Amino acid sequence: MGDYLEIANSKLLYLWGSIIVLFVLFQSILFIRLAWKEGKKLGLTSKKMLKGLRAGMVSAIIPSIPIVLTLIAMAPVLGIPFPWIRLSVIGSGPYELLAAGIGADTMGVDGLGATGYTRYVFANSVWVMTIGAMWSGTIVFFFIKRIKKGYKKIEKRDSKWMSIITNAAFFGVICVFLAQPITTGGLALTTMLSGGILMTICALLVIKAKITWLKEFALAISMIGAMGSAVLFAQII
Amino acid sequence: MIDNNTLTSQKFEKKVHRLGKATILTGIILSLLVPVLLWIIHGVFPPMKQLLLGIGTVSSFMIPLSIAEILAFYPILGSSGIYMAYTTGNIANLKLPSAAIGMEVANVKPSTKEGEVISTIAMAGSVIVSEIILVVGVILLVPISHKLNNPLLKPAFEQILPALFGALGAYYILKEWKLAIVPLTIGIIFSAFNLQTAISVPICVLCSIIAAKFLYKKGKIKA
Repeated sequence: MGDYLEIANSKLLYLWGSIIVLFVLFQSILFIRLAWKEGKKLGLTSKKMLKGLRAGMVSAIIPSIPIVLTLIAMAPVLGIPFPWIRLSVIGSGPYELLAAGIGADTMGVDGLGATGYTRYVFANSVWVMTIGAMWSGTIVFFFIKRIKKGYKKIEKRDSKWMSIITNAAFFGVICVFLAQPITTGGLALTTMLSGGILMTICALLVIKAKITWLKEFALAISMIGAMGSAVLFAQII
Repeated sequence: MIDNNTLTSQKFEKKVHRLGKATILTGIILSLLVPVLLWIIHGVFPPMKQLLLGIGTVSSFMIPLSIAEILAFYPILGSSGIYMAYTTGNIANLKLPSAAIGMEVANVKPSTKEGEVISTIAMAGSVIVSEIILVVGVILLVPISHKLNNPLLKPAFEQILPALFGALGAYYILKEWKLAIVPLTIGIIFSAFNLQTAISVPICVLCSIIAAKFLYKKGKIKA
């Protein structure tokens, strides 16, 4: 793969990632301190608050593992530190890959890490991923107080509608990328179908066989399994 | 007594907004500096036209998506939760469940003052743990990463996007297949004509939302 990996894995990016993680930890500690003081005023016991803290910490362990798996899958195409940074602040696995793909696509390159994925294409992916992820934070920064005031007027029905819009908007983008392998075929199509089949199997196992822990891992398992199928099909096709 | 209570909670609210705004802005600046550093230190900057096209494409769905998502999450997360969640991401799969479990274990109700305090503490705890696990993941990944560059595995990583979209697409289709009909049809037509993503993404997103509105009004889909 391309020369861009030298830049993508540079010490500078690792250093920057460490700074960002320290900052995020600092934010969490400040919020705990603020909430703790307020809890005391409200008459909550330290024991009760500690219970909440512990529950939050423990509940994060299992759902963090698929995030690490996504990071491993992204590392050979985008390097280690940048996906790490993006998954640490604002980001989430599927969005990051989607945005990286858009960055490559607008440069006329078909897929991440493919032939022609130069350092300039990588830079485009980085810009697109970063700016796309900034919108939610920017909206929160400027409009949260207004949203809070306006919220009383919004009925419950509308809150349902909002979650439908979120799904529909995301689905709209996914469909563009789903359609490409359908029309081009080949390895991309077999990989995509494998991913779909694996996800369907996972969903059946969760619903029919009641293996609920699988729910959190379904996306990571299906994606990595489909990537594995690409290795197999590449030998055949 | 009641007056005194509302006064302290107003103070708390104010402090939450001050801390939240300061940290979310810092988070945005720190992440924006990543591409800027690539540019200044490594001298790599993409061609302007392609960069703007890419930013336009990603924004065409991230702006409506972010607004709708914030409106949907706000009543569940509360102010302090919203700031923390949008600084760190991974909301639906990580932050929301942690806040909910924290409130359940501490036996406080959501959307009460006690609930907001406990959900803030629980969410902060979950942020700390997930950041630490990611760091451990990075430390473990660095020594083995060159093995992933094996030529045999090359097709796997080159096909990472189709792999993701196959899984993600199936997830959404299984959840609400009716939402898929319009955007997928349009997507296939656009792709057959080889239309650029900078054009097809915004149109597909818009049509998908309009179709969803129609289905929702007709009562064909539930949230």
